[in-house]
Amino acid sequence: MWLRVGSLVMLAFCALVTAHGQAQENNDLERIPKALQSSPPEATPEQSNAPSPPAPRAHGKYYAEDALTLSSARNGLAVPLPTPAPSDWENRTSLDAADQWTVRRGLTATLSDRFNATEENGVDVPSQQLIRNDFREGYVTWEPLARTYLEAGRVNLRDGIALGFNPTDFFKTRTLLDQASLDPSVIREDRLGTLMLRGQSIWSGGSVSVAFAPKLYAPAPITLGVPYGLGPKFDHTNGANRILGSVNFETAGLSPQVLLYHEGSETLIGMNLSRSIGQSIIAYAEWAGGNQPSLIAQSVAYGVRTGTLPADTPLLPPADAADAFRSDLALGASWSSASKVTFNIEYHYHQAGLSRQEERDWFTIGTAQRNLLPVIGELWYIRAFANDQQQPWVQQQLFLRLDWADAMIPHLELAAFAFVNLYDGSSLSQLSANYYLSDAWSLGAYASANVGGARSERGSYPQVAGLIIQVLRYF
Amino acid sequence: MSRIMVLIVLLGLAARVGSGAKAQAADVPSTETPAAQDLVAAADRIRNPQQPFRLTDTLVEYRDGKPRDRVVLIVFAREEKDTRQYSNLVRYAEPPRDAGKMVLLHGSNMWFYDPASKASVRISPQQRLIGQASDGDVVTANLARDYTAKLVGAESLEDADRKDRRCWHLDLAAADPEAIYSRIEYWLERGTDQPVKGKYYSDSGRLLKIAYFHNYQEQLGTVRPTETIIIDAVDANLVTTMTTSDYRIQELPDAWFQRDFLPRLKAD
Repeated sequence: MWLRVGSLVMLAFCALVTAHGQAQENNDLERIPKALQSSPPEATPEQSNAPSPPAPRAHGKYYAEDALTLSSARNGLAVPLPTPAPSDWENRTSLDAADQWTVRRGLTATLSDRFNATEENGVDVPSQQLIRNDFREGYVTWEPLARTYLEAGRVNLRDGIALGFNPTDFFKTRTLLDQASLDPSVIREDRLGTLMLRGQSIWSGGSVSVAFAPKLYAPAPITLGVPYGLGPKFDHTNGANRILGSVNFETAGLSPQVLLYHEGSETLIGMNLSRSIGQSIIAYAEWAGGNQPSLIAQSVAYGVRTGTLPADTPLLPPADAADAFRSDLALGASWSSASKVTFNIEYHYHQAGLSRQEERDWFTIGTAQRNLLPVIGELWYIRAFANDQQQPWVQQQLFLRLDWADAMIPHLELAAFAFVNLYDGSSLSQLSANYYLSDAWSLGAYASANVGGARSERGSYPQVAGLIIQVLRYF
Repeated sequence: MSRIMVLIVLLGLAARVGSGAKAQAADVPSTETPAAQDLVAAADRIRNPQQPFRLTDTLVEYRDGKPRDRVVLIVFAREEKDTRQYSNLVRYAEPPRDAGKMVLLHGSNMWFYDPASKASVRISPQQRLIGQASDGDVVTANLARDYTAKLVGAESLEDADRKDRRCWHLDLAAADPEAIYSRIEYWLERGTDQPVKGKYYSDSGRLLKIAYFHNYQEQLGTVRPTETIIIDAVDANLVTTMTTSDYRIQELPDAWFQRDFLPRLKAD
């Protein structure tokens, strides 16, 4: 009797729980915005209140940017600069456009350009020194066969899987233009392409490409700061005959890419590998190697060739002038979390760069001969050359980067990165915040610092800290 | 002893409570109870055309009930013959700051390409889960292939229009290491097999998303949901609608589904 009663009670309880469960399921509907809930029951699905989407816009990217840069100079440099200290403020206004058009079936045209007007202290406005046009890309693509492409014109050809240093990005040299952010992933957004002929064929599971960039001009000298003017600066990108071949294929989930590059008397081979590990980690490696001179020998040879340094310039600090097989390596991993945080760590090895002893010698010579302009000019030229080639100055460094999308509030993206010199512990760090006010407007702020002892790579840099405020308007 | 008996009785009843939804299925003759896996396969065929296709997804993000962001994606999708898994190529058409960015989702081979920096970045399964393209997974995923389905029972459920629908309630457990979600609860309308609702869980059992399949219309010869309302279970203020339009059957060669093709992908 009692058992029966108990059973009935429990069955009633069951029904209640089930009904409650379903009611709970239907509670999810409470979170659907009212604007989306159609409707009287008799309405057909086609009569939903949801607005029908307008057609997507064209795929070009157009925007205007204003970036104000404030920087503080370092006093008492261990090795004084041979040139006047950089300006402590600058405002750059840019118009940026990148688009692609189908000329006719199988033929497309691509154009990418930025026009900049700058104001800075010490330079009167208006001045030709303050106007610059960055003709980044302009080329046509012909597809004579399915997935076989022939391209001619100025192409920004970029390879490499790492973030902070790309040994296989052979066309990166002499392409740098100024950017609001020092972040290497942002720097690549505004760089010069190279005049070239390129062919690429893509098939199931792989691709092959060959690019030839002819020498059209004598190589341009390296200058401190960004080159101004409206010209296309082909002498920056087409100062040597260069050939690059690359093959991509898929095996063991590693997505290998093998590259062969030839310039002048140098032939380099390169490889990119990457693999997903578990749910959250991507491991990657990028390597290039070949017979090449040390960074010091390369920079002095280039300075002599372009007339910046006298013909009898000795190697300072003293270094091996001979070519030898030298490797570049970027070994890294990224980790991402469910809270939209991505963290990258990379070890960079640049065998041609300065060793620990050569770095010490750079400071020893520079401080001892600080009044000899040719000596300090050459020492700083080596650093400018490394920067221009987008190579590390020393042999070993660490790169750390953190990116947090929708950080604490929606549409706020926070990022931070640091390059750490593994010999002297000095670092270049940057914190940035970007807030997307709307689809059209975004605000950015970038604070950077060169931190380290007076006789360290970053601690000897003429700028201690910088702040950039950026406004972008997309069209 | 009697206490133990009472406890056993209560536990027995509690077990029935646990399968309360099954109790609801009592009105369904066992001969009419379909195989769970067949139901999921039928729903897959409703959500996804059987031939390679492209479509336009317009995602509108609602924060605190108000529309805020709009993302337009052009999606190229096809089922791989050998794995029966969907491979997707996604091209951002809007907002302007993201126009031209592309994503390849091809098994564990996943890449993001930004035409501004020319950078191809490999992405992890975790990043697939948190990106906007992940909402596309709710639509173009072959659940019958990636999950083992179990019929929980028959239930009556309100759809996004607050209309009662008689549904099969299914519990899907990941059967493939490449399955995006660890577990899915799935409600399909009895008789039509149309998906009505889905709940998507992470490896840790955390509820990530709730999806309502909505606005059924005929597209490419089948009545399909053209709007999916995705409630973010992690961010309580976020709801995203994904409106699907411009369905087209399109040949999608193997060669398209690799990193090097991303810069070549055109939307026109």
